[in-house]
Amino acid sequence: MYNVIQLFAKFGTHILFVVLEVICFYLIINYNQSQKEIFINSSNIYSAKIGEQKAILSNFANLKRVNDSLMRENANLIENLILIEYASDNIPNPDSIYNPYSLIPATICNSTINLRNNHITLCKGSREGIKPDMGVISSSKGIIGIVRSSSSNFAHVMTLLHSQTKISCGIKSRKGHGSLVWKDTDPLRMTLESVPKHEIIAVGDTIITSGFSTMFPRGILVGKIENFKIMSGSNNYNITIKLFNDLTNVKYAYVVQNRYGSEQLNLEKEITK
Amino acid sequence: MNNTVPTNIIRFLIVFLVQVWIFKHITFSFGGFVFIHFLIYPMAILLMPIKTPRSLVLGLAFVLGLMIDMSYDSVGVHTGALVFTAYIRNVIIAFLEPYEGYNIDDVPTIKNMGIGWFISYLSVGLLLHIFLYFSLEAFSFVFIFEIFLNTISSFIVTFIVILISQFIFRTKY
Repeated sequence: MYNVIQLFAKFGTHILFVVLEVICFYLIINYNQSQKEIFINSSNIYSAKIGEQKAILSNFANLKRVNDSLMRENANLIENLILIEYASDNIPNPDSIYNPYSLIPATICNSTINLRNNHITLCKGSREGIKPDMGVISSSKGIIGIVRSSSSNFAHVMTLLHSQTKISCGIKSRKGHGSLVWKDTDPLRMTLESVPKHEIIAVGDTIITSGFSTMFPRGILVGKIENFKIMSGSNNYNITIKLFNDLTNVKYAYVVQNRYGSEQLNLEKEITK
Repeated sequence: MNNTVPTNIIRFLIVFLVQVWIFKHITFSFGGFVFIHFLIYPMAILLMPIKTPRSLVLGLAFVLGLMIDMSYDSVGVHTGALVFTAYIRNVIIAFLEPYEGYNIDDVPTIKNMGIGWFISYLSVGLLLHIFLYFSLEAFSFVFIFEIFLNTISSFIVTFIVILISQFIFRTKY
Protein backbone atom coordinates (compact mmCIF):
# COMPACT_ATOMS: atom_id res chain seq x y z
CA MET A 1 0.00 0.00 0.00
CA TYR A 2 2.82 2.36 0.91
CA ASN A 3 4.48 1.48 -2.36
CA VAL A 4 1.33 2.39 -4.25
CA ILE A 5 1.17 5.79 -2.52
CA GLN A 6 4.82 6.36 -3.24
CA LEU A 7 4.26 5.43 -6.85
CA PHE A 8 1.46 7.98 -7.09
CA ALA A 9 3.54 10.65 -5.39
CA LYS A 10 6.35 10.05 -7.84
CA PHE A 11 4.47 9.49 -11.08
CA GLY A 12 1.07 11.02 -10.23
CA THR A 13 1.13 13.60 -12.97
CA HIS A 14 2.22 11.07 -15.57
CA ILE A 15 -0.54 8.70 -14.51
CA LEU A 16 -3.01 11.58 -14.57
CA PHE A 17 -1.83 12.50 -18.06
CA VAL A 18 -2.27 8.96 -19.33
CA VAL A 19 -5.70 8.67 -17.72
CA LEU A 20 -6.86 11.97 -19.20
CA GLU A 21 -5.55 11.04 -22.65
CA VAL A 22 -7.30 7.70 -22.48
CA ILE A 23 -10.53 9.49 -21.60
CA CYS A 24 -9.98 11.85 -24.52
CA PHE A 25 -9.45 8.99 -26.94
CA TYR A 26 -12.54 7.29 -25.61
CA LEU A 27 -14.53 10.47 -26.15
CA ILE A 28 -13.06 11.00 -29.62
CA ILE A 29 -13.84 7.49 -30.74
CA ASN A 30 -17.32 7.42 -29.26
CA TYR A 31 -18.66 10.85 -30.17
CA ASN A 32 -17.06 11.68 -33.52
CA GLN A 33 -18.36 9.91 -36.54
CA SER A 34 -15.38 10.07 -38.90
CA GLN A 35 -12.83 9.17 -36.22
CA LYS A 36 -15.08 6.36 -35.09
CA GLU A 37 -15.23 4.94 -38.59
CA ILE A 38 -11.46 5.17 -39.00
CA PHE A 39 -10.92 3.49 -35.65
CA ILE A 40 -13.36 0.69 -36.40
CA ASN A 41 -11.90 0.12 -39.84
CA SER A 42 -8.29 0.00 -38.69
CA SER A 43 -9.08 -2.15 -35.68
CA ASN A 44 -10.99 -4.46 -38.01
CA ILE A 45 -7.96 -4.69 -40.29
CA TYR A 46 -5.67 -5.53 -37.40
CA SER A 47 -8.03 -8.00 -35.78
CA ALA A 48 -8.57 -9.65 -39.14
CA LYS A 49 -4.83 -10.00 -39.61
CA ILE A 50 -4.43 -11.44 -36.14
CA GLY A 51 -7.33 -13.80 -36.73
CA GLU A 52 -5.77 -14.92 -39.99
CA GLN A 53 -2.48 -15.76 -38.31
CA LYS A 54 -4.32 -17.55 -35.56
CA ALA A 55 -6.28 -19.56 -38.12
CA ILE A 56 -3.08 -20.58 -39.89
CA LEU A 57 -1.55 -21.72 -36.61
CA SER A 58 -4.61 -23.58 -35.45
CA ASN A 59 -4.99 -25.16 -38.88
CA PHE A 60 -1.48 -26.46 -38.61
CA ALA A 61 -2.08 -27.71 -35.09
CA ASN A 62 -5.32 -29.36 -36.19
CA LEU A 63 -3.88 -31.14 -39.22
CA LYS A 64 -3.63 -34.44 -37.44
CA ARG A 65 -7.17 -34.29 -36.16
CA VAL A 66 -8.48 -33.24 -39.57
CA ASN A 67 -6.57 -36.08 -41.16
CA ASP A 68 -8.02 -38.55 -38.69
CA SER A 69 -11.53 -37.36 -39.33
CA LEU A 70 -10.98 -37.49 -43.09
CA MET A 71 -9.77 -41.06 -42.77
CA ARG A 72 -12.86 -41.87 -40.75
CA GLU A 73 -15.01 -40.33 -43.49
CA ASN A 74 -13.14 -42.26 -46.14
CA ALA A 75 -13.70 -45.45 -44.20
CA ASN A 76 -17.42 -44.74 -44.14
CA LEU A 77 -17.45 -44.08 -47.88
CA ILE A 78 -15.59 -47.29 -48.64
CA GLU A 79 -18.00 -49.17 -46.38
CA ASN A 80 -20.84 -47.73 -48.43
CA LEU A 81 -19.12 -48.81 -51.63
CA ILE A 82 -18.82 -52.33 -50.31
CA LEU A 83 -22.48 -52.23 -49.40
CA ILE A 84 -23.39 -51.13 -52.93
CA GLU A 85 -21.30 -53.93 -54.38
CA TYR A 86 -23.25 -56.34 -52.22
CA ALA A 87 -26.56 -54.82 -53.12
CA SER A 88 -25.85 -55.30 -56.82
CA ASP A 89 -25.11 -58.95 -56.23
CA ASN A 90 -27.69 -59.88 -53.61
CA ILE A 91 -31.18 -58.81 -52.74
CA PRO A 92 -30.71 -55.22 -51.61
CA ASN A 93 -31.16 -54.65 -47.93
CA PRO A 94 -31.90 -51.09 -46.91
CA ASP A 95 -30.77 -51.68 -43.36
CA SER A 96 -27.25 -50.37 -43.07
CA ILE A 97 -26.63 -52.47 -39.99
CA TYR A 98 -26.71 -55.40 -42.34
CA ASN A 99 -23.36 -54.30 -43.75
CA PRO A 100 -21.07 -56.95 -42.30
CA TYR A 101 -17.91 -54.98 -43.00
CA SER A 102 -16.65 -51.97 -41.11
CA LEU A 103 -13.31 -50.28 -41.63
CA ILE A 104 -10.75 -49.16 -39.06
CA PRO A 105 -8.51 -46.36 -40.35
CA ALA A 106 -4.85 -46.69 -39.39
CA THR A 107 -1.54 -45.09 -40.24
CA ILE A 108 1.50 -47.12 -41.21
CA CYS A 109 4.42 -46.90 -38.83
CA ASN A 110 6.99 -49.07 -40.51
CA SER A 111 7.29 -51.07 -43.67
CA THR A 112 9.72 -53.14 -45.69
CA ILE A 113 9.49 -53.44 -49.45
CA ASN A 114 12.61 -55.03 -50.86
CA LEU A 115 12.74 -58.34 -49.03
CA ARG A 116 11.29 -61.61 -50.18
CA ASN A 117 8.78 -61.48 -47.32
CA ASN A 118 7.67 -57.96 -46.65
CA HIS A 119 5.72 -56.69 -43.66
CA ILE A 120 4.27 -53.43 -42.51
CA THR A 121 3.39 -52.26 -39.02
CA LEU A 122 0.19 -50.36 -38.33
CA CYS A 123 0.01 -47.79 -35.55
CA LYS A 124 -3.19 -49.26 -34.19
CA GLY A 125 -3.68 -52.53 -32.43
CA SER A 126 -6.12 -54.69 -30.58
CA ARG A 127 -7.21 -51.72 -28.50
CA GLU A 128 -8.88 -50.37 -31.66
CA GLY A 129 -10.27 -53.78 -32.55
CA ILE A 130 -7.59 -55.07 -34.93
CA LYS A 131 -7.24 -58.82 -34.66
CA PRO A 132 -5.18 -61.39 -36.60
CA ASP A 133 -6.51 -62.54 -40.01
CA MET A 134 -8.19 -59.30 -40.86
CA GLY A 135 -7.72 -57.85 -44.32
CA VAL A 136 -5.99 -54.50 -44.85
CA ILE A 137 -6.93 -52.34 -47.84
CA SER A 138 -5.47 -49.17 -49.21
CA SER A 139 -7.16 -45.79 -49.00
CA SER A 140 -7.84 -45.24 -52.70
CA LYS A 141 -7.84 -48.62 -54.36
CA GLY A 142 -6.00 -51.86 -53.97
CA ILE A 143 -5.37 -54.17 -51.08
CA ILE A 144 -2.36 -54.18 -48.81
CA GLY A 145 -2.26 -57.42 -46.90
CA ILE A 146 -3.47 -59.46 -43.99
CA VAL A 147 -2.95 -58.86 -40.27
CA ARG A 148 -0.70 -61.51 -38.82
CA SER A 149 -0.58 -60.49 -35.17
CA SER A 150 -1.56 -57.52 -33.08
CA SER A 151 -0.41 -56.08 -29.78
CA SER A 152 -2.45 -53.55 -27.88
CA ASN A 153 -1.17 -50.58 -29.93
CA PHE A 154 0.40 -52.08 -33.04
CA ALA A 155 -0.46 -54.63 -35.66
CA HIS A 156 1.87 -56.63 -37.81
CA VAL A 157 0.68 -57.01 -41.37
CA MET A 158 1.86 -59.44 -44.00
CA THR A 159 1.76 -57.45 -47.24
CA LEU A 160 0.88 -58.73 -50.67
CA LEU A 161 4.60 -58.81 -51.36
CA HIS A 162 5.09 -61.97 -49.33
CA SER A 163 5.91 -65.49 -50.44
CA GLN A 164 2.96 -66.91 -48.52
CA THR A 165 0.34 -64.50 -49.79
CA LYS A 166 -2.61 -66.27 -51.28
CA ILE A 167 -5.72 -64.16 -51.78
CA SER A 168 -8.81 -65.28 -53.60
CA CYS A 169 -9.51 -62.93 -56.51
CA GLY A 170 -11.97 -62.81 -59.34
CA ILE A 171 -12.24 -61.00 -62.66
CA LYS A 172 -14.75 -58.22 -62.78
CA SER A 173 -17.86 -58.91 -64.91
CA ARG A 174 -16.50 -62.31 -65.93
CA LYS A 175 -16.66 -65.67 -64.28
CA GLY A 176 -13.78 -67.53 -62.73
CA HIS A 177 -11.53 -66.84 -59.83
CA GLY A 178 -8.06 -67.72 -58.74
CA SER A 179 -5.53 -66.98 -56.09
CA LEU A 180 -3.17 -64.06 -56.06
CA VAL A 181 0.47 -64.84 -55.33
CA TRP A 182 3.70 -62.90 -55.51
CA LYS A 183 6.36 -64.70 -57.50
CA ASP A 184 8.55 -61.97 -58.96
CA THR A 185 10.55 -59.38 -57.13
CA ASP A 186 8.69 -56.55 -58.83
CA PRO A 187 6.59 -54.76 -56.17
CA LEU A 188 4.06 -53.62 -58.79
CA ARG A 189 3.26 -56.98 -60.39
CA MET A 190 1.68 -60.16 -59.04
CA THR A 191 0.44 -63.40 -60.49
CA LEU A 192 -3.05 -64.80 -60.53
CA GLU A 193 -3.01 -68.58 -60.53
CA SER A 194 -5.48 -71.39 -61.04
CA VAL A 195 -7.96 -69.62 -63.27
CA PRO A 196 -9.21 -72.47 -65.45
CA LYS A 197 -8.35 -72.08 -69.11
CA HIS A 198 -11.90 -72.41 -70.40
CA GLU A 199 -12.73 -68.98 -68.93
CA ILE A 200 -12.59 -66.08 -71.38
CA ILE A 201 -10.29 -63.31 -70.22
CA ALA A 202 -8.65 -60.38 -71.93
CA VAL A 203 -5.72 -58.08 -71.32
CA GLY A 204 -6.94 -55.06 -69.34
CA ASP A 205 -9.60 -56.86 -67.35
CA THR A 206 -9.97 -55.64 -63.82
CA ILE A 207 -9.14 -58.00 -60.99
CA ILE A 208 -11.25 -57.70 -57.86
CA THR A 209 -11.39 -59.62 -54.63
CA SER A 210 -13.82 -62.48 -54.82
CA GLY A 211 -15.24 -62.25 -51.34
CA PHE A 212 -14.84 -65.95 -50.74
CA SER A 213 -12.66 -65.41 -47.70
CA THR A 214 -13.75 -63.65 -44.55
CA MET A 215 -10.89 -61.17 -44.86
CA PHE A 216 -11.92 -59.05 -47.85
CA PRO A 217 -15.38 -58.13 -49.05
CA ARG A 218 -16.22 -58.73 -52.68
CA GLY A 219 -15.31 -56.03 -55.17
CA ILE A 220 -12.18 -54.41 -53.81
CA LEU A 221 -10.13 -53.36 -56.82
CA VAL A 222 -6.76 -55.06 -56.99
CA GLY A 223 -5.26 -54.51 -60.41
CA LYS A 224 -5.62 -55.25 -64.08
CA ILE A 225 -4.40 -57.98 -66.36
CA GLU A 226 -1.15 -57.10 -68.05
CA ASN A 227 -0.67 -60.34 -69.98
CA PHE A 228 -1.50 -64.00 -69.64
CA LYS A 229 -0.36 -67.31 -71.03
CA ILE A 230 -1.09 -71.01 -70.66
CA MET A 231 1.90 -73.12 -69.72
CA SER A 232 2.19 -76.27 -71.86
CA GLY A 233 0.41 -79.15 -70.17
CA SER A 234 -1.27 -76.86 -67.67
CA ASN A 235 -4.96 -76.52 -67.19
CA ASN A 236 -4.85 -72.99 -65.89
CA TYR A 237 -3.90 -69.53 -67.00
CA ASN A 238 -0.81 -67.86 -65.69
CA ILE A 239 -1.91 -64.22 -65.47
CA THR A 240 0.41 -61.32 -64.71
CA ILE A 241 -1.36 -58.52 -62.93
CA LYS A 242 -0.32 -54.92 -62.56
CA LEU A 243 -1.42 -53.68 -59.15
CA PHE A 244 -3.39 -50.46 -58.84
CA ASN A 245 -1.65 -49.35 -55.70
CA ASP A 246 2.06 -48.91 -55.16
CA LEU A 247 2.88 -50.71 -51.93
CA THR A 248 6.25 -48.99 -51.65
CA ASN A 249 4.79 -45.66 -50.60
CA VAL A 250 1.51 -46.27 -48.80
CA LYS A 251 0.96 -44.20 -45.67
CA TYR A 252 -2.61 -44.94 -44.67
CA ALA A 253 -4.53 -48.16 -44.55
CA TYR A 254 -7.96 -49.45 -43.57
CA VAL A 255 -8.37 -52.66 -41.69
CA VAL A 256 -11.46 -54.59 -42.73
CA GLN A 257 -13.47 -55.88 -39.84
CA ASN A 258 -15.94 -58.60 -40.74
CA ARG A 259 -18.74 -58.73 -38.26
CA TYR A 260 -19.78 -62.29 -39.16
CA GLY A 261 -16.32 -63.57 -40.02
CA SER A 262 -15.81 -65.64 -36.91
CA GLU A 263 -19.29 -67.14 -37.29
CA GLN A 264 -18.50 -68.23 -40.82
CA LEU A 265 -15.13 -69.67 -39.79
CA ASN A 266 -16.64 -71.59 -36.88
CA LEU A 267 -19.28 -73.10 -39.08
CA GLU A 268 -16.75 -74.14 -41.69
CA LYS A 269 -14.51 -75.61 -38.98
CA GLU A 270 -17.42 -77.68 -37.62
CA ILE A 271 -18.09 -79.20 -41.00
CA THR A 272 -14.50 -80.14 -41.63
CA LYS A 273 -14.21 -81.83 -38.23
CA MET B 1 1.92 36.86 -6.18
CA ASN B 2 -1.55 37.50 -4.76
CA ASN B 3 -2.69 38.70 -8.16
CA THR B 4 -1.58 35.56 -9.96
CA VAL B 5 -4.61 33.39 -9.33
CA PRO B 6 -7.30 35.95 -10.31
CA THR B 7 -5.30 37.01 -13.36
CA ASN B 8 -5.04 33.44 -14.56
CA ILE B 9 -8.71 32.73 -13.96
CA ILE B 10 -9.72 35.85 -15.86
CA ARG B 11 -7.33 35.02 -18.68
CA PHE B 12 -8.65 31.48 -18.77
CA LEU B 13 -12.22 32.71 -19.20
CA ILE B 14 -11.38 35.47 -21.65
CA VAL B 15 -9.31 33.17 -23.82
CA PHE B 16 -12.15 30.67 -23.85
CA LEU B 17 -14.75 33.27 -24.76
CA VAL B 18 -12.60 34.91 -27.42
CA GLN B 19 -11.85 31.55 -28.96
CA VAL B 20 -15.48 30.50 -28.99
CA TRP B 21 -17.08 33.80 -29.93
CA ILE B 22 -14.59 35.22 -32.37
CA PHE B 23 -11.95 32.83 -33.64
CA LYS B 24 -14.27 29.91 -34.00
CA HIS B 25 -15.99 31.72 -36.84
CA ILE B 26 -12.83 32.77 -38.64
CA THR B 27 -11.49 30.09 -40.91
CA PHE B 28 -9.78 30.51 -44.23
CA SER B 29 -9.48 27.82 -46.76
CA PHE B 30 -7.59 27.60 -49.98
CA GLY B 31 -6.91 24.79 -52.36
CA GLY B 32 -10.00 23.01 -51.12
CA PHE B 33 -8.45 21.12 -48.26
CA VAL B 34 -6.09 23.44 -46.39
CA PHE B 35 -7.86 25.24 -43.59
CA ILE B 36 -6.51 27.95 -41.37
CA HIS B 37 -7.83 27.74 -37.85
CA PHE B 38 -7.08 30.21 -35.10
CA LEU B 39 -6.39 28.05 -32.05
CA ILE B 40 -5.42 30.59 -29.42
CA TYR B 41 -6.73 28.72 -26.37
CA PRO B 42 -3.42 26.91 -25.60
CA MET B 43 -2.30 30.35 -24.47
CA ALA B 44 -4.33 29.95 -21.28
CA ILE B 45 -2.39 26.83 -20.39
CA LEU B 46 1.00 27.91 -21.66
CA LEU B 47 0.93 31.24 -19.79
CA MET B 48 0.27 29.77 -16.35
CA PRO B 49 2.96 30.41 -13.76
CA ILE B 50 5.95 28.15 -14.18
CA LYS B 51 5.72 26.54 -10.76
CA THR B 52 2.02 25.66 -11.04
CA PRO B 53 1.52 22.04 -9.91
CA ARG B 54 1.62 19.86 -12.97
CA SER B 55 -1.54 17.90 -12.09
CA LEU B 56 -3.44 21.20 -11.71
CA VAL B 57 -2.31 22.22 -15.19
CA LEU B 58 -3.41 18.86 -16.55
CA GLY B 59 -6.82 19.15 -14.86
CA LEU B 60 -7.38 22.69 -16.09
CA ALA B 61 -6.32 21.68 -19.60
CA PHE B 62 -8.84 18.88 -19.52
CA VAL B 63 -11.61 21.23 -18.38
CA LEU B 64 -10.74 23.92 -20.92
CA GLY B 65 -10.45 21.35 -23.67
CA LEU B 66 -13.86 19.96 -22.87
CA MET B 67 -15.35 23.46 -22.84
CA ILE B 68 -13.83 24.22 -26.25
CA ASP B 69 -14.98 20.85 -27.56
CA MET B 70 -18.54 21.49 -26.43
CA SER B 71 -18.73 24.59 -28.56
CA TYR B 72 -16.81 23.06 -31.48
CA ASP B 73 -18.96 19.92 -31.36
CA SER B 74 -15.92 17.67 -31.66
CA VAL B 75 -15.82 15.86 -28.35
CA GLY B 76 -12.34 14.95 -27.17
CA VAL B 77 -10.25 16.26 -30.07
CA HIS B 78 -9.25 19.59 -28.55
CA THR B 79 -9.12 18.00 -25.11
CA GLY B 80 -6.67 15.33 -26.14
CA ALA B 81 -4.38 17.84 -27.79
CA LEU B 82 -4.57 20.30 -24.92
CA VAL B 83 -3.90 17.70 -22.22
CA PHE B 84 -0.84 16.68 -24.15
CA THR B 85 0.27 20.30 -24.40
CA ALA B 86 -0.18 20.73 -20.67
CA TYR B 87 1.89 17.62 -20.07
CA ILE B 88 4.67 18.61 -22.44
CA ARG B 89 4.74 22.18 -21.04
CA ASN B 90 7.01 21.26 -18.14
CA VAL B 91 9.38 19.46 -20.47
CA ILE B 92 9.71 22.56 -22.66
CA ILE B 93 10.17 24.75 -19.59
CA ALA B 94 12.88 22.48 -18.26
CA PHE B 95 14.52 22.49 -21.67
CA LEU B 96 14.60 26.27 -21.88
CA GLU B 97 15.71 26.78 -18.27
CA PRO B 98 18.12 29.74 -18.02
CA TYR B 99 21.49 29.40 -16.33
CA GLU B 100 20.35 30.77 -12.99
CA GLY B 101 17.12 28.72 -12.90
CA TYR B 102 13.57 29.94 -12.36
CA ASN B 103 12.22 31.96 -9.49
CA ILE B 104 9.25 30.67 -7.53
CA ASP B 105 6.94 33.35 -8.91
CA ASP B 106 8.12 33.39 -12.52
CA VAL B 107 5.44 33.61 -15.20
CA PRO B 108 6.20 32.81 -18.83
CA THR B 109 5.60 36.27 -20.30
CA ILE B 110 7.68 38.54 -22.52
CA LYS B 111 8.19 41.02 -19.72
CA ASN B 112 9.39 38.42 -17.26
CA MET B 113 11.44 36.03 -19.36
CA GLY B 114 12.46 38.10 -22.39
CA ILE B 115 11.27 37.94 -25.97
CA GLY B 116 13.68 35.23 -27.16
CA TRP B 117 12.71 32.80 -24.43
CA PHE B 118 9.04 33.53 -24.91
CA ILE B 119 9.07 33.02 -28.66
CA SER B 120 10.86 29.67 -28.46
CA TYR B 121 8.61 28.50 -25.62
CA LEU B 122 5.42 29.56 -27.37
CA SER B 123 6.41 28.24 -30.79
CA VAL B 124 7.36 24.76 -29.55
CA GLY B 125 4.29 24.40 -27.33
CA LEU B 126 1.92 25.77 -29.95
CA LEU B 127 3.39 23.74 -32.79
CA LEU B 128 3.06 20.52 -30.82
CA HIS B 129 -0.48 21.39 -29.84
CA ILE B 130 -1.63 22.23 -33.35
CA PHE B 131 0.07 19.24 -34.87
CA LEU B 132 -1.57 16.92 -32.37
CA TYR B 133 -4.91 18.63 -32.86
CA PHE B 134 -4.89 18.04 -36.60
CA SER B 135 -3.61 14.52 -36.16
CA LEU B 136 -6.48 13.71 -33.83
CA GLU B 137 -8.94 15.40 -36.16
CA ALA B 138 -7.77 13.33 -39.13
CA PHE B 139 -7.19 10.33 -36.84
CA SER B 140 -5.11 8.53 -39.42
CA PHE B 141 -1.65 9.18 -40.80
CA VAL B 142 -2.99 8.39 -44.22
CA PHE B 143 -3.68 12.15 -44.32
CA ILE B 144 -0.15 13.09 -43.24
CA PHE B 145 0.24 15.64 -46.03
CA GLU B 146 -2.94 17.49 -45.12
CA ILE B 147 -2.00 17.34 -41.45
CA PHE B 148 1.32 19.03 -42.08
CA LEU B 149 -0.13 21.69 -44.34
CA ASN B 150 -2.89 22.53 -41.88
CA THR B 151 -0.46 22.53 -38.97
CA ILE B 152 1.98 24.94 -40.59
CA SER B 153 -0.60 27.39 -41.90
CA SER B 154 -2.63 27.43 -38.68
CA PHE B 155 0.49 27.65 -36.57
CA ILE B 156 1.71 30.79 -38.33
CA VAL B 157 -1.51 32.75 -37.97
CA THR B 158 -2.16 31.63 -34.39
CA PHE B 159 1.37 32.41 -33.36
CA ILE B 160 1.07 35.94 -34.76
CA VAL B 161 -2.24 36.49 -32.99
CA ILE B 162 -0.91 35.33 -29.61
CA LEU B 163 2.25 37.40 -29.97
CA ILE B 164 0.25 40.53 -30.81
CA SER B 165 -2.02 39.90 -27.84
CA GLN B 166 1.02 39.69 -25.62
CA PHE B 167 2.22 43.05 -26.87
CA ILE B 168 -1.21 44.62 -26.38
CA PHE B 169 -2.01 43.20 -22.94
CA ARG B 170 1.28 43.36 -21.12
CA THR B 171 0.22 41.32 -18.11
CA LYS B 172 2.60 41.20 -15.23
CA TYR B 173 1.45 37.78 -14.01
